[in-house]
Amino acid sequence: MAEPLPPGVNAERMADALERLRKIVGRDWVFSGEKVASYDDPYTIPNDPGRYKAHAAVAPASTEQVQEIVKVANEFRIPLWTVSRGKNFAYGGAAPVLSGSIVLDLSRMNRILEVNEKFGYALIEPGVSYFDLYEYVQSRGLKLWLDVPDPGWGSVVGNALDHGVGYTPYGDHFGVQCGMEVVLANGEVVRTGMGAMPGNNTWQLFKYGFGPYVDGMFSQSNFGIVTKMGIWLMPEPPGYRPYLITFPRAEDIEQVVEIVRPLRLNNVIQNAATIRSLVLDAALFATKSQYYSGEGPIPDTVAKQIMADQEIGMWNFCGALYGPPPITDALWTAIRDSFATIRGVKFYFPEDRKRRPDILIHRADTMRGIPKLTEFGFLNWNGGGGHVGFSPVSPTTGKDAIKQFRMVSGRVREYGFDYMGLMAVGFRELHHVTVIVFDQTNPKERQKLNEVFQLLVREAAAEGYGEYRTHIHYMDTIAGTYSWNNNALLKMHQTIKDALDPNGILSPGKSGIWPKRLREAKKV
Amino acid sequence: MKHIAWMSFLVSALASLAMPTAAADMTGRDVFDHYCGACHGTDDGPGTMQLRRTRGKDQALLTERTNLSADYIEYVVRHGLRAMPPFVPSDLTEAKLKALLAFLAK
Repeated sequence: MAEPLPPGVNAERMADALERLRKIVGRDWVFSGEKVASYDDPYTIPNDPGRYKAHAAVAPASTEQVQEIVKVANEFRIPLWTVSRGKNFAYGGAAPVLSGSIVLDLSRMNRILEVNEKFGYALIEPGVSYFDLYEYVQSRGLKLWLDVPDPGWGSVVGNALDHGVGYTPYGDHFGVQCGMEVVLANGEVVRTGMGAMPGNNTWQLFKYGFGPYVDGMFSQSNFGIVTKMGIWLMPEPPGYRPYLITFPRAEDIEQVVEIVRPLRLNNVIQNAATIRSLVLDAALFATKSQYYSGEGPIPDTVAKQIMADQEIGMWNFCGALYGPPPITDALWTAIRDSFATIRGVKFYFPEDRKRRPDILIHRADTMRGIPKLTEFGFLNWNGGGGHVGFSPVSPTTGKDAIKQFRMVSGRVREYGFDYMGLMAVGFRELHHVTVIVFDQTNPKERQKLNEVFQLLVREAAAEGYGEYRTHIHYMDTIAGTYSWNNNALLKMHQTIKDALDPNGILSPGKSGIWPKRLREAKKV
Repeated sequence: MKHIAWMSFLVSALASLAMPTAAADMTGRDVFDHYCGACHGTDDGPGTMQLRRTRGKDQALLTERTNLSADYIEYVVRHGLRAMPPFVPSDLTEAKLKALLAFLAK
């Protein structure tokens, strides 16, 4: 199948534009024809093969080349779909919302410009992966820790821009971002915060500078192309002690979350800990067929067998203590005593876990910022390989947690999927991330997945729960749920979009934000 | 003690994931360690575990396979296969792919 063209662009114009791009970046760094297949969403959802297909990809090596590419895109009215490394799997990977777009692939912009041990920050380009930054810090013996998401091959910048989370005290990745360089749609380069002042030396130290704080405007958005970003890194603590607490019953989540809230608000629980469900943890190192050969989700009897076999609970709280031992000992006493009120609770440190591989041994690395790909093991649960994340945000209350758990697990099980969820503990909210693992080779299963996902979004929105992040297939849907006051927020986004990007060349459809010319076409 | 040994192994394995990525500096083994190693380089990597289940113990570790053709590896690298996503040519370049094929294909 020939690669699609974007609206209003014919093949001849596209060929001319690609030739111009080759002159900017070199012939080796414009990818078209069969080479574009690598930019497809590997876990695509719709059965229409024409959806979310790029026409080509271009990979610049510098901010200056990005500026030149943007000028060509404006001239030819060709949409650019920006990705940092294109590893945002479960949310679309490198694939564009609008078919026919050219993927602006920033993988080659992978310079680590500065790592400052004294103040604890890095200034990096979007092509830098967690593996890259980790190796840089380790090889120089710097006493700094990263905060990593589950897959370590993704972009540090891209993950922060998509509001990704990790599991140390620096788990809110956009929260620890400080200072950006952004190429606007007109080709102009802007530095935010203190970076706007010539000769200033606090660009990565103080976020706000003077005037409106605009960094958030470039996250989950299509208002500019972030080409540099500051990210704060945690000083290596004098002590570290990971732990696992297991709970035997599904309904325990209500009491667990009530206990978590005051502990987290008071920083007794120091990190972005996670409360993980049975199957999610079991699936890292086992497959469904090892335990169950029937149709549909596993029954309760099998769940009990897995719990006994893997020494885990229906819920598993993975956390860690950071600091001098006298302090972490005191924190642990408070944590242990708080959870000890739950019947059947079990407490573990790594030395208590004898099985290999093991969930706590694995999470102990992640909670100290060691990047890995181990979590990809859960994709093997049913052998199909596909996955998508449904990620509503909940207040940290037991009532909300069990309500969300029942809503989501009930629906996914009704549609034949196992519930594989986690609740990542923020200061005042839980990210309830449910991974739905599906057989991507089976069109009927993809259709079933799509039906249940749409239903989940509607039911969550009806209860006031909104997703914090989503797959490209659902960006319009999720944006539509943030509809207070006649969609005032979306209309404001569109106003900003039209002002900054009047030709609509930057990532059309990202987060449900479409430029004017394509909004009008969509209405027809 | 076992835990410490396991951790040391992991840190060592991860260090190899982030070696210099300029094609000229990388051997086929380097490319494998950097791009494939986290899933296929160890006994408990998710890729190794899945291949052990689906194709048998003697087919689990890619470096021990004798039945991988260059065409097949290239196709899987560029298109992905089930859980494994594809690798884009801006990152795993044609030159690196060529080195990988020379190392892995039989």
